[in-house]
Amino acid sequence: MAEQLHAMLSLRGLTRRFGGLTAVDAIDLDLARGELISIIGPNGAGKTTLFNLVTGLDRPDAGTVRFEGQDITGLSPERLAAEGIARTFQLGRVFGNLSVMDNVLIGAHTRLRAVKPAVPVIGPLLELGLALLRPSSVKAEEERLREEVRAILARFGERLLPRIDQPAYSLSYANRRRVEIARALALKPRLLLLDEPTAGMNPTETAEMQALVAELKAEGLTILLIEHKLEMVMRLSDRVIVMDEGKKIAEGPGEQVRTDPKVIEAYLGHGLSGAAEQESAA
Amino acid sequence: MSSWLDYTINGLIVGNVYALVAVGLALIFGVSRLINFAQGSIYLVGAYIGWVAVVQLHTPLPLTIIVVAAAAAVVGLIIERFGLRPLQNSVRIAPLLATIGISFVLDQLVMLTFSPNPRALPSQLPDVRFQLGGGTIGPLDLLIAGVGITSALLLFVFLRYSKLGWAVRAASQDRDAAMQMGVDVNRVNQAVFGIAAALGGVSGMLVGMYYNQIDTAMSLQATLKGVVAEVVGGAGNVPGAVIGSLLLGLVESYGVAVFGTSYRNLFAFLLLVVVLVLRPNGLFASARQAPPEPLTGTFIAPSRPVRIPRWALAVAAAGFAILPFFPVSFYVLQTLINAWLLGMLALSLTLVAGTMGQVSLGHAALLAIGAYTSALLSLTLSVPVGLAVIGGGLVSAALGTLLISPSFRLRGHYVSIATLAIGEIVSLVILNWESVTRGPIGISGIPPLSLFGYDLISPTSIYWFSFAVMVVLALLQGRLLGSHLGRSFRAIRDDDIAARAYGLSLNRYKSLAFIFGGFAAGVSGGIAAHLYSYINHETFNTQQSILALTVVILGGLGNVVGAIVGSVALVGLPEVFRIAAEYRILIYGIVLLLLVRFRPQGLLGTI
Amino acid sequence: MTTSAPEPLLALSNVNTFYGQAQVHFDLSITVARGHIVCLLGGNASGKSTTMKIILGLVKPRSGEVTFDGASLIGLSTPQIVRRGIASVPEARRLFADMSVRENILMGAFVRNDRDAVAQDLDRMLTLFPKLGQRLSQRAGSLSGGEQQMVAMARALMSRPRMIVMDEPTMGLSPLYVDRVLELIRAINQEGVSVFMVEQNASLALEIAHEAYVLQTGKIVLSGSARALKDDPRVRDAYLGGSEAA
Ligand SMILES: Nc1ncnc2c1ncn2[C@@H]1O[C@H](COP(=O)(O)OP(=O)(O)OP(=O)(O)O)[C@@H](O)[C@H]1O
Ligand SMILES: Nc1ncnc2c1ncn2[C@@H]1O[C@H](COP(=O)(O)OP(=O)(O)OP(=O)(O)O)[C@@H](O)[C@H]1O
Ligand SMILES: [Mg+2]
Ligand SMILES: [Mg+2]
Repeated sequence: MAEQLHAMLSLRGLTRRFGGLTAVDAIDLDLARGELISIIGPNGAGKTTLFNLVTGLDRPDAGTVRFEGQDITGLSPERLAAEGIARTFQLGRVFGNLSVMDNVLIGAHTRLRAVKPAVPVIGPLLELGLALLRPSSVKAEEERLREEVRAILARFGERLLPRIDQPAYSLSYANRRRVEIARALALKPRLLLLDEPTAGMNPTETAEMQALVAELKAEGLTILLIEHKLEMVMRLSDRVIVMDEGKKIAEGPGEQVRTDPKVIEAYLGHGLSGAAEQESAA
Repeated sequence: MSSWLDYTINGLIVGNVYALVAVGLALIFGVSRLINFAQGSIYLVGAYIGWVAVVQLHTPLPLTIIVVAAAAAVVGLIIERFGLRPLQNSVRIAPLLATIGISFVLDQLVMLTFSPNPRALPSQLPDVRFQLGGGTIGPLDLLIAGVGITSALLLFVFLRYSKLGWAVRAASQDRDAAMQMGVDVNRVNQAVFGIAAALGGVSGMLVGMYYNQIDTAMSLQATLKGVVAEVVGGAGNVPGAVIGSLLLGLVESYGVAVFGTSYRNLFAFLLLVVVLVLRPNGLFASARQAPPEPLTGTFIAPSRPVRIPRWALAVAAAGFAILPFFPVSFYVLQTLINAWLLGMLALSLTLVAGTMGQVSLGHAALLAIGAYTSALLSLTLSVPVGLAVIGGGLVSAALGTLLISPSFRLRGHYVSIATLAIGEIVSLVILNWESVTRGPIGISGIPPLSLFGYDLISPTSIYWFSFAVMVVLALLQGRLLGSHLGRSFRAIRDDDIAARAYGLSLNRYKSLAFIFGGFAAGVSGGIAAHLYSYINHETFNTQQSILALTVVILGGLGNVVGAIVGSVALVGLPEVFRIAAEYRILIYGIVLLLLVRFRPQGLLGTI
Repeated sequence: MTTSAPEPLLALSNVNTFYGQAQVHFDLSITVARGHIVCLLGGNASGKSTTMKIILGLVKPRSGEVTFDGASLIGLSTPQIVRRGIASVPEARRLFADMSVRENILMGAFVRNDRDAVAQDLDRMLTLFPKLGQRLSQRAGSLSGGEQQMVAMARALMSRPRMIVMDEPTMGLSPLYVDRVLELIRAINQEGVSVFMVEQNASLALEIAHEAYVLQTGKIVLSGSARALKDDPRVRDAYLGGSEAA
């Protein structure tokens, strides 16, 4: 119950159908402020679809999404970004022709204040005017954001900083993914949704990413994480939710979920990788 | 009510004719994701080759068809070889522009060879007519319907079930991946262009026989109608193209019945815009879906824009500013004035097409709105000309943005098509709204430019005025690009889904780009109106939109300095070489082709 | 190199690759022996995917030689290279988004002409990846990430290649399917297909590989039998998640 009271995000009966397939089937979920919940499940379980529903890129056929007590079901993605919800995409959607710096600055777009005064109706025209005139408040804001971006990029060590002015298309796959995470951080999100942040990274690099997510969590960020790398899930999550064929089949602390026979049956199997997960500890 | 039946039959017959072009377009779109603007030219070439065969060589019909199909197929192969293949790794709109360039060249060559005068192309079929309702249909109608429907069916089956058809579709979706499956993408494209062109050529000939008349204007008309029909049916959808064509024929026919002939095209384009707004992927596309994450990069050609130091730009600007102090001829100043006016339009277009990625093919409409507003303000309300020009800019910004806003939900080539249609709609409204625009008569006696009560009549003063306005606009645009707006525009261009997920409203930022661009274009149109003293609905036409696009490509998409350099080059070079007017379009076409071939990122590079 | 290595099927020798001014490969030399599984390890941005692109002719090296079955691949187009018997699982899947799953898988057999055998192979793929059986007519672009990865794998196998190059074939797969795909790789290898793969799941990859190479900012820094590399502390630190791994 306590969770429900403080829930930052709560989903009730969330459902999305594609033709005859129910990709997300009556999912309930409560995420408390500062909590990190991982969503795991076999391929095609509906995890990414769930993210799309929460971030407004897709609309549910039934059910509600509440964020900070407010019903946000079906709101546009740009509204939800303004509310402080940031996400990364599973395959990656960087702005290919923008430099790393500009990519991450776009992440800070919703935080622009000086150049984007919240005035109704003529707001956009004011924005155009301020962008052209560029008074000192606007310049200062831009400079401050650039500093912030550098600080965010510094969290990825030497992977992105030396490439800060390169266009994103020239980065390797994993580095593009990192740019995306940096972009999400630049939004200063209240809720962060990460869709397989470590895809394409080897165990050492995964450990690096895991440390970053742990840091973010320690800073108080609320996070929903989709990951197939179990070791990481076990170490980071307060709770784990297991989905299969759109339904929630298990929920609870990592260790409990991991030994749940249903989960082993649907998701883990008994083969090689279970053993390998043990080895890849960081 | 039997007359409605007649209009229906008439509509279907005309739609049948459109279907021939639309099917060829759909096929090419299905392969190369390219709207082939040269399809109308192939149609034209087919019609004239048919004329040569029938009238001069007296070939029988089957042979005529074979000759025309073969000749048109060769043209198609040439287009593939020079318009498409070299451009596979360049900017996405490069092939589209190449087809426009090819269409310029082909149309002009036909015109130079056969003169622009219409010719009769007699039908080779027996002239029997069957009564149907109040109209008649003849064997030619049936042949056209037969060719249209058969080819649509064959192509549909080909694309869906044959191995080559699959290869075609795979190559259009991810070229690199298709090659990794062993698909020889160039072969595939060749085959498809050959087939589509043969079809296009035969349609041109049949339609020429149908109206018993061919002329060089039929190319653009055919392209426009074919494109409308194809997009209504869902680009790349072959059976959809047939249905779209019939629908288009019907809508036009009913529209003409109710409002009169001059409304024919208006209805065609309105149909297109309505369909695009309601069903952005055509009538027969599937329903709501969360857009998938991109499986391939949609990146523009990597290029490093040429950096020109500020001092060099300042020196160049100063040089042009003091030019009138030197003994230069009136003619040179006149040419440069034209360049500055075109430069303002190009600035506008390079912002929306290059920076924002909304490749507008109807940009001349913004000129027209600015010109009419400024002319009418000064003539009927006696507003001082200086203010009227600014008024033209503001109205163009506001009205232009409003008119183009239906296209904000669209992507890629659909935007180009929608803006093309919107541009045509503007010019048709100007033509038909006689109480305000004086219709086909146009507006004459527009007062000359003046500023603070001083008339600007001498070439020198006009030169300075237009140059100064352009420089100010360019400086403002440079500032815009350096601001958060420049970055936001480019982010939306690269991936609008990700942009939205980070709080960028597409409507807001596309509007801002069009407001700024609309102002620049409107001012250019306003100044032009006062220079020309007479304007009508044809003063600012599609050719001008395409010229502006050529300039933008020449300079480099999104590149401010490039837009100006491009304008000077495209206006100036034909003058320098004293090229006669009828060859100019040909030259523009060739420049466009050479450019997209050898420097697709433009002289100064894409930004 | 292992001493018992049979004759090489694929060999890269002294390859230097550039993107514009930036050099990505420095005198890269790699050989894949006939019938072996060879694994390429390396950190992000070390040039692994570029190596794949070199083999497939998607990127041209500035200097160096690439041979397959004794004949040079330099100057051949990608379709020509593929027709010599190399199939690929590209990085980030690269499916044909608007084509159905079925069409995508069958595209893999584009170079083949034996219709009946192709149909049999399709059935085999569907038994390997039962998940795809329910999705045959769905647009590939709307599949989940892992499902797409399965299609990419199935598509590559459909060409009955002599050799298959894979860029992170288990990316995005759930643990169950990671196992299954690695088993599959071993199985097709036993049927005689040589394999060259980039795999971030390094400990598993070394489990099934014969040899491995380690790439660091464009240079091969270590190579040898997979077994030896698996126990090499340098590999463990840099690629297997640290030295406490046992
Ligand atoms: N537009 C669509 N049309 C039809 N089916 C769809 C569509 N989008 C998703 N699906 C199906 O819905 C199911 C859930 O997909 P989703 O992407 O949410 O899976 P996921 O849990 O993220 O899997 P993975 O771990 O593989 O990424 C999949 O089986 C997918 O094929
Ligand atoms: N098109 C390009 N233009 C310029 N540089 C590029 C391009 N593609 C890749 N690079 C650079 O080449 C280097 C190697 O890239 P590559 O994609 O081969 O790395 P990788 O080892 O596959 O990395 P990852 O594990 O992230 O997939 C990187 O530094 C990358 O930034
Ligand atoms: Mg997913
Ligand atoms: Mg890679």
